[in-house]
Amino acid sequence: MPLVPNALCFSDGLPGAGAPCHVTVSDNGLTMVPVGDSVLREEAIAFTDMSVEAGGLDHDQLVVSWGDGTSRRTVYLKDPALIVAFRRAAPSQLTAHLERAAEQVRRARHSHRLLWSSVAGVLIGLVLFLWFGSDLVVEWAVARIPIEWEQKLGETVYQDFLSKETVLKDGPAVSAVQEMTQRLTEKIPNSPYKFQVSVVQGPVVNAFALPGGYVVVFTGLMNKAESGEEVAGVLSHELNHVLQRHGLERMVTMLGLAAVVGIVLGDQQGVLGLAKQLGMELATLKFGRAQETEADLTGLRLLSDARIAPDGMIRFFERLSEKDKERVELFSTHPMSAARAERLKAELAALPKRTPIPFTFEWKPVQDSLALSVPKK
Amino acid sequence: MKCEILYPGAFPMVRVYLDANETVKAESGAMVAASPTIDIESKMEGGFLGALSRKMLSGEKFFFQTLRASRGAGEVLLAPTVPGEIVLLELDGVNEYMVQKDGFLAGAEGVKIESKMQSLTRGLLGGEGFFILKIGGIGQLVLNSFGAIHKIELKPNEEYIVDNSHLVAWTSTTTYNIEKASSGWIASLTSGEGLVCRFRGPGVVYIQSRNPGSFGNWIRQFIPVSE
Ligand SMILES: [Zn+2]
Repeated sequence: MPLVPNALCFSDGLPGAGAPCHVTVSDNGLTMVPVGDSVLREEAIAFTDMSVEAGGLDHDQLVVSWGDGTSRRTVYLKDPALIVAFRRAAPSQLTAHLERAAEQVRRARHSHRLLWSSVAGVLIGLVLFLWFGSDLVVEWAVARIPIEWEQKLGETVYQDFLSKETVLKDGPAVSAVQEMTQRLTEKIPNSPYKFQVSVVQGPVVNAFALPGGYVVVFTGLMNKAESGEEVAGVLSHELNHVLQRHGLERMVTMLGLAAVVGIVLGDQQGVLGLAKQLGMELATLKFGRAQETEADLTGLRLLSDARIAPDGMIRFFERLSEKDKERVELFSTHPMSAARAERLKAELAALPKRTPIPFTFEWKPVQDSLALSVPKK
Repeated sequence: MKCEILYPGAFPMVRVYLDANETVKAESGAMVAASPTIDIESKMEGGFLGALSRKMLSGEKFFFQTLRASRGAGEVLLAPTVPGEIVLLELDGVNEYMVQKDGFLAGAEGVKIESKMQSLTRGLLGGEGFFILKIGGIGQLVLNSFGAIHKIELKPNEEYIVDNSHLVAWTSTTTYNIEKASSGWIASLTSGEGLVCRFRGPGVVYIQSRNPGSFGNWIRQFIPVSE
C-alpha cells in the first residue's frame, strides 16, 4: 500500500513547496519516509538531535528541524493527531516553549473568534432586521403558519378575553349578530375558518377579530349604530381582517426574528408562547393603514355579495369621523378619516348594483334590548 | 478529472475532462463552453436561514459553482476574466495554498475550498479584502493571474517582500506580515495604499506580473468623462 503523505519536508534540492513525506512518532524520536519520487532518503531522528517550534500561517503546524548545511531538513507537521502523538512522546524540555506558545495562540484565537462572531452576529441581525421591515418577509413567514396554529392561538386569546368580560349569551342582540354573521360567512367560499362571533358588554364603540376567526362585537358599537347594516359593515370589515390574516402579519412583525425562527423550525409551542406573552395585545392590535384599506374594500365587496346594503358601512364610518373629537374607542384601533369613506364610496360605485335583502329583525328593538341588559351598578 | 492548458500565454483557456458523474468546482462565470452532458449544480441546502447564514459567513456561493457531468462524460472549457497566465497545481493532501479570491479558476472534486477570514489587522490593511481561500485536499487546482505568473521559492526563514496587489497564492507553511511600504513601490503608490507583504519561508509564493488596480487607473485616463 502506498504511504499517505502527512508532512512536508523542506531542504536544499527539494521543491520549494516542500516534498511530501510520511512521518511516524516513536518513543525516542521520529521517522521520516519520503513519498513519491524524491532525492530524500528515509531518516530516523532522535528527539535529542532536533529542534522544534510552531509555524505556518496560522501558527498551528509543528516545525521540526535537524542537520546542518545541505543536509539541513525542516519538516512541517499539520495533522493534529500526529502533533498530539509528538507532544506525548517528546521529552518536556523539547516542547516546553511550544506549549507556552500554543497557549498564547489559543488565547489570541479565542478573543479573535469572539470578536468575529459578535461582528457576524450584529451583521446577521441587521440584515434580518432590514428584511423584516419589508412586508415580503412577513408575508413569507405568515404563509408558513398552518391554519391549526392560528386557530389554537386565536382561541386561547379569545377564551382568555371572554372569561374576564360579560358575554351576552342570548337575546335579540345575539340573534341579530348571528344572522349578520350567517349572511356574510355563507358568501365566503372555501373558507378554512369557522367564525365565532360574541357580543360583549362594554361601552366602547369597537369590534375586533383574532387570528383564526374569533370576533368580538361590543355593545357600545351596537348602541352607536343606527341600523343592522351599519353593524354588519363593521363585522364584514373584521371578518376580512381574519381572511387576509392581518393579525398574523402584525404578530410576526411584532415578535420579529424569534417568530420566524420558530416558524422555520416548526416550533409551534415557541411561537404560541411568544404570542401569549403579547397576551391581550392581540385583541387591541393596531393594523397598518394598508391592512385597514384592504379590509374596508374586501369587506364592502363581501357586503355586496351578501346582499346587505353596503352604504350602512360607509354611513357608520362617516358618522364616526364627524364625531372625531369624542375620541371613541374605534378611532384608536380603527382611525377614521374622510378619505377612508371616500375610497369606499368610489369602490361602491364600481360594484354591480344589487337589490339589498333586509335583515329579519328590526333594529330598534335590538338596541332597546341592550339597554335592558346593562347591569345596574 | 484531467486538465489541459490551451493557448498558454496571455489568453489561455483550460480544457477539463470529466468522467461520468464527476464534478469540478469552477469560478462563477468562468465556463466558456461545455459538452451537453454537463450541468451546473445549484442547491439551496438548509432552507432559507441556512443559505443566508452560509452566504453571510463564508461567502461560499459568491466564488464558485459546481459543474457535474451528470449525463455522461464530457468536457468543459474554462477561462478567466482577465488576460493572464494559468497554472496547474497538484494537491497531494498535505500541501495547502492560500489563494487570493480572484486567483481561483477551478479545482477537482477532491479539492477542498474554505473561505477564510483574514485576521482583523491583516484584512483591514491588506488589499485582498477580508476573505482569502484556503485550498487543500487532493487533486488538481487551477489558478489564474493578471499578466504572467511568477513563482518565488523560499527556504526556511528566507524572506521576500511582495506588493499586496500582485499576490496570487502562497503555501500555508509560509507566514506573512503586512507592512507599510517604504517609498519606491510604484504600484503601492499609485493604488495609494502603500502596503506590502513580507513573506517568510519555507514555501512558495505565486505572484502576478500585473497589478489589476494600477491597470484600472491607467485605463481610466482614456475613458472620456461626461459632464
Ligand atoms: Zn380594521
